[in-house]
Amino acid sequence: MVDRLERLTNLVLVLLRDGRPRSLREIADEVPGYPPEGEARRQAFERDKRTLREGGIVVSTAAVDGPDQFGYMIKPDDFYLPDLDLDPEEQAALNLAVAAVHLGEPTGRDALWRLGLPAPTGARPLAQLPALPALPVLWEAVRQRAVVSFGYRGEHRRVAPAVLRFRGGWWYLVGLDLDKDAARTFRVDRMDGLPEAGPQGSGELPVGFEPTTAIAEEPWRIGEGEPLPVDILVDAELSALVEQQLGSASVVERRPDDSVVLRLEVTNVDALRTWLFELGEHVVVLAPAEVRQVMLDWLEATAARPVKKGRARARVSAATPSR
Amino acid sequence: MTGRPEAGQRLRRLLAVLTWLARVRRAPVAELADRFAMTPEDLVADLELAACCGLPPYTPDQLMEIIVDDEEVVADLGEDLARPRRLSAAEGFALAAAARAILATPGTQAEPDEGGALERALAKLDAALGAGTSDGRDNADSAAADVDEVAARGGEVLRVDLGDAPRLAELRTAVEEGRQLAVRYYSLSSDEESDRVIDPLELVAVEGRWYLDAYCHRADGMRRFRVDRLVEVSETGAPVDHAAPEPPPSAEVPAFVPGPDATVATVAVEPEGMWLVETVPTLRVSPRRDGRTEVDLAVASPVWFERLLLRLGPNAEVLGPPELVDTGRDAASRLLARYAEEAATG
Repeated sequence: MVDRLERLTNLVLVLLRDGRPRSLREIADEVPGYPPEGEARRQAFERDKRTLREGGIVVSTAAVDGPDQFGYMIKPDDFYLPDLDLDPEEQAALNLAVAAVHLGEPTGRDALWRLGLPAPTGARPLAQLPALPALPVLWEAVRQRAVVSFGYRGEHRRVAPAVLRFRGGWWYLVGLDLDKDAARTFRVDRMDGLPEAGPQGSGELPVGFEPTTAIAEEPWRIGEGEPLPVDILVDAELSALVEQQLGSASVVERRPDDSVVLRLEVTNVDALRTWLFELGEHVVVLAPAEVRQVMLDWLEATAARPVKKGRARARVSAATPSR
Repeated sequence: MTGRPEAGQRLRRLLAVLTWLARVRRAPVAELADRFAMTPEDLVADLELAACCGLPPYTPDQLMEIIVDDEEVVADLGEDLARPRRLSAAEGFALAAAARAILATPGTQAEPDEGGALERALAKLDAALGAGTSDGRDNADSAAADVDEVAARGGEVLRVDLGDAPRLAELRTAVEEGRQLAVRYYSLSSDEESDRVIDPLELVAVEGRWYLDAYCHRADGMRRFRVDRLVEVSETGAPVDHAAPEPPPSAEVPAFVPGPDATVATVAVEPEGMWLVETVPTLRVSPRRDGRTEVDLAVASPVWFERLLLRLGPNAEVLGPPELVDTGRDAASRLLARYAEEAATG
């Protein structure tokens, strides 16, 4: 029994040889280890093709003369990159980048291996970014201006992609939603399953489409509605910190007790609520009434969870703030 | 295939080794194994197997010329195998994202010129990847004309912004020049500000937030500070007197280990609150008959737990221990009282 790795290695070398397609019959004659002609051989070959594909090696199909009609080959252009011609300084810089930025999987290292560059060693990580299976698909689609489709919040979306962007801990796809005919920002981790990309050029953007205006800066600005001005009151304890984070331009009032009122443009009230609760009792919403009501409803629902019998209020003292 | 990587992964690594060998022609076994993260035994086994591969009729002159002895590998593999190979979309993306992250973060290059070098490397990569990665080439035959245009867009289509935090430049200077700092830090977990003298050692961006790893003289140990929670920063005028510890061998994040003071809380979570499991380290997750999910998590700080429960709101119920079951209710009641004090405006 021939080791599968040996069969695969020989298969790659044979399929790359002299740039012509070979029928499965020829391949099995030239590469040791395939079962005799028949369904088992076909299945073994299909499995090998899949393995190569998963390893990023494309096997193409082409017509051949003779009874088999079509054959297989690895086109050199699909297998090799044109020489990158990186000088040692550029190699070192790429290495440093891969060592410093972690994307979950060692794919960056694999990439350097494939380019024949020395792998990174020892550098301390500078950044860690979440790796999502959808990202390579989307990146490829943006580069090729290919329309992408995916499920998002229960709706099927078709998007001409403009930018793939990491910010604030999340990956976003910004593009033109073809059904709504408007710029939209999508959180990549919220897409249902893997997005599907159409052919190259199928997702051209209209002239003058400006993705940057569609990119929200803060989580509460990622949404689809009209922006709503929301005033929040931050107490003296956290006012300096929050002002530093949001910028002094958002301050609309400074109170004598050192608390401040800041105005935010909000399109996503859920995201705002989450962010505000991270700051605990130091922040309340002052206006508008409907957003204040959202906060009050949420808090009342939280406070009203049924109290189990026999565990009345005896422990309140333990949970009362120390101040 | 017991205990050995899948054939596809072995092939990928073997091809990487062969590309490298085709370039250097001769390398010590130990160094090769190290470079490709293999044991010397696996490396030698795969190379001996590769030495039996080649082209029909598989006579010695048609096999790959690889000679392996105990110490060293010598190979003559020809020019083709030395060529860089096309990247998968995942690999191309990983390289591009890493490089974009570095380029978008001023002052992160060790040498002033390296930014330029990285930009050049990325431009060459973008150009080479022009017509697509191996995943996208099935239907890309007719698209070769667009190569230059695709390459030119590399920087527009992918933006990695590690985020801004106040004083990042100032902190980076302090790290690079080894200047000790006096800081006032707001700790979310204790809801308190504290003054500390720290030796800043490393700035890292983890999933969207900047952290300063520093030796804290008050805690007498390494601590990780969230940069956006540093309320005041000034230099003490002294140099740092502690060095960064050795980086961990695999730069992965260590597994979550609850601190000595942590209490384990059990929370029943509605489906709407399941983001909890993705954002907070959990000790146990198990489905319940009533459609909710039971989650055990370590509570090191009551304030942190309160705020987590506020965010979960009606989608979570604390089942135990008894001293924590009212935490969310009480926090919500206190915040409601604050709302009652601060009348609505506008």
